[in-house]
Amino acid sequence: MSIRSLLVAAVVASLTACAERPWHGVAMDPANPAPPLSIAGTLAEPATRFTLADAKGDVVLLYFGYTHCPDVCPTTMSDWVRAKRALGPDTSGVRYVFVSVDPQRDTPELSAAYARQFDKAFVGVSPTDDELGLLLKEWAIAAYPEGDPRTNAYTVAHPAHTFVVDRDGRLRLMIPPGVRGEDIAEDLRRLR
Amino acid sequence: MRKIFVACASALALGACERAPEPAADSAAGPARAALSVHEAWARAADSGAMTAVYFTLANGSAVSDTLTGASTDAADEAGLHMSMQQGNTMHMAAVRALPVPAEDSVLFRPLGAHVMLMGLRRPLADGDTVPLTLRFVSGQTLEVRAGVRVP
Repeated sequence: MSIRSLLVAAVVASLTACAERPWHGVAMDPANPAPPLSIAGTLAEPATRFTLADAKGDVVLLYFGYTHCPDVCPTTMSDWVRAKRALGPDTSGVRYVFVSVDPQRDTPELSAAYARQFDKAFVGVSPTDDELGLLLKEWAIAAYPEGDPRTNAYTVAHPAHTFVVDRDGRLRLMIPPGVRGEDIAEDLRRLR
Repeated sequence: MRKIFVACASALALGACERAPEPAADSAAGPARAALSVHEAWARAADSGAMTAVYFTLANGSAVSDTLTGASTDAADEAGLHMSMQQGNTMHMAAVRALPVPAEDSVLFRPLGAHVMLMGLRRPLADGDTVPLTLRFVSGQTLEVRAGVRVP
């Protein structure tokens, strides 16, 4: 076998390996169009508004959490920060969106500030009760208070995964909690 | 675990171990008192949120099991033991009344699992700050912990 054919074989092998490389997140198959998501926010503050359809052309990371969440949500946000850092100085083409599922405590401004504390580019939005009801239905996800919602101490059950919507608006990946930021970045590099 | 106990006990004598500042002479009160120790304690930085969590490894080097029953700090209005749990695709968090620390074993407090939740932070916690935390056990023992604040 000539060196040339060896090289060709090596390139083909590496390309095949690339194509078959598993995702760190759970790949959706088929990757259907993501359900709609539109949070009106407040008119005064554009940072409190988000509509998924407007993000077409970018990869969008979505997390449904709440700001009174001391462990899982900040852990996920920190993993996003590491992912963004791992993607390098070119931060274009990826959006990071935290959606509160606790409209009772999370004002639009609070969610925006919460997301921003992890990274200035992170968006945080709070749906109204009606918007939340609609998005839980359309995304087929569960979120509900646990404990006594009349106190400030209740917790909120919420989806565990980060949802990743690709540039064409299709729901492509669900990234489970605990996936390292560097591995999230590897998935995002393939989608960006 | 025996080795950790020994290492910790000697570190304690030097005042280096992260635990209650019990004087060495107090060991006469019973070896079990000196056996609980906390390692690698850290708190997640939070600059505008009212909540955060503290994580650590809680080791029990003694032959007697104990049970962690609570925590307190002057850095927040409330400190509580909590556990994050994933059930199916949904994440839950539950308050934990008591967490057993078996003899010659250790319990990990880590992200996505057991943690001490701090509610109503009285000041922002920035990278490099320290959070003092007191852990209470059913035996009556308390442990003073100093958790370094980190941006993970």
